[in-house]
Amino acid sequence: MKIHGLSALVTGGASGIGAGVARVLARAGAKVAILDRNAELAQATAAAVGGIAIACDVANDASVQQAVAAAQAAQGAARILVNCAGIDTARKIASRKTGAHPIGPMQRVIDVNLVGTLSCCAHASYAMLDLAPLDADGERGVLINIASVAAFNAPNGQSVYAASKAGVVGATLPMARDLARYGIRVMTIAPGLFDTPLAGTMDDAMTGQVLRQVLFPKRKGKPDEIGALVQHICENQMLNASTIRIDAGLF
Amino acid sequence: MKLEGVAAFLTGGASGLGAATARVLAEAGAIVALLDRDMVLAEPLARELGGIAVKCDVADHDSLKAAVQQACAAIGPPRIAVNFAGIDVSRKIASRSQGPHPIESMQREININVIGTLDGCALFAEQMMNLDPFEDGERGVLINIASGAAFNGPPGQAAYAASKRAVAGATLPLARDLAPYGIRVMTIAPGFFKTPLASSVDDKHIDKLIAMVPFPKRWGDPREIGELVKHICQNRMLNGETIQIDGAMR
Repeated sequence: MKIHGLSALVTGGASGIGAGVARVLARAGAKVAILDRNAELAQATAAAVGGIAIACDVANDASVQQAVAAAQAAQGAARILVNCAGIDTARKIASRKTGAHPIGPMQRVIDVNLVGTLSCCAHASYAMLDLAPLDADGERGVLINIASVAAFNAPNGQSVYAASKAGVVGATLPMARDLARYGIRVMTIAPGLFDTPLAGTMDDAMTGQVLRQVLFPKRKGKPDEIGALVQHICENQMLNASTIRIDAGLF
Repeated sequence: MKLEGVAAFLTGGASGLGAATARVLAEAGAIVALLDRDMVLAEPLARELGGIAVKCDVADHDSLKAAVQQACAAIGPPRIAVNFAGIDVSRKIASRSQGPHPIESMQREININVIGTLDGCALFAEQMMNLDPFEDGERGVLINIASGAAFNGPPGQAAYAASKRAVAGATLPLARDLAPYGIRVMTIAPGFFKTPLASSVDDKHIDKLIAMVPFPKRWGDPREIGELVKHICQNRMLNGETIQIDGAMR
């Protein structure tokens, strides 16, 4: 699809990878709606990229439904959804010192990262089904999810996060199959270590340890590099149902 | 990396995915070298794109080595190298009517698709590693072409699928070998694209194949591979990965 003039939703778009995606899509001419829990930061980022901000908790289905409708009322039905909203909890599944992983944060990570992503895909794609096709191939829209390399190869203390992200990877193909008849593509991006607030919670020793495992380039990725990949996925129609690792070779 | 003015070598660059990619890279400002067995196709395309054509059989080490040297002498060492050269021998591993898959065509397919690609990586990387680094210390990028068959091969494609899975399998250790030099290695696994290789399939079979593609329901346009190659060149965080591009045909 040609991005210029299309309406796009970016969850978690107030900061980190989401803000990079919002910036790049806006630069390519999209009308960007930033859906984020942090309304204040969402406003600031939206103002910076020339989009709108909508308060939204992706773990709350009613909130997602309202946000999708509000964005549609403001700038037309979205053709692009990018699910960047996500949280992390670093904790071993059980250890002598910290005991069993508590159910509260376990449930919350799955609710935000996995159920939240599915919920956003459901509401955003439902709003796309009856839109006019954009081209002769019948394309109506594209859903792009942000997973993580943790879906494939996660360090200790990341079992819940890895499970939530692996769930997103696993859902990609069946969602693409569900939506192909409507001309809606579904893709997932699995980033490695990027310069984001989420990665900022890691201490320097841990960051150094991860960067030692990175092949090349040996640095944190920039959110705009995820944005550039999102833009390419939107523009390249043959990309469908795949998960693309973008991690400078982090295995 | 920026494509303006850099040398890009493409094996199998005279037709199909290779030719379309050569066109996309040349439009972005790269100087292309088309390394191909078929000079009748390679020469006019190279002229049109302002690049060069070099005769080359990737399954023949001496031929490939000579071609790399000739291309380097003409346009400089490559910053980008894409291994498109490949063949597809459709034949069941054994059947009552045809007997066992003959060893000759099996061997030829592996030699071109696997050894040709690995040898290409070796010889291209050898040239890249002495170049001046760009931003982040990047010296070059190698891109190999596998196939959707690497992950989900239809009947009659055992040797082809094996050859392409091998290419996908080599991606990570290649990236590991070359990371110290700032050389990235990526693989693309295309689904059903409109190329001479795919055109050898008969019409009835093609309709059946297209019906299997979830969306978009059409052949892929070789230019879409070219655009993905271009994006990989430009996006430095992409390394060691195989990207399936197939309209969700799994």
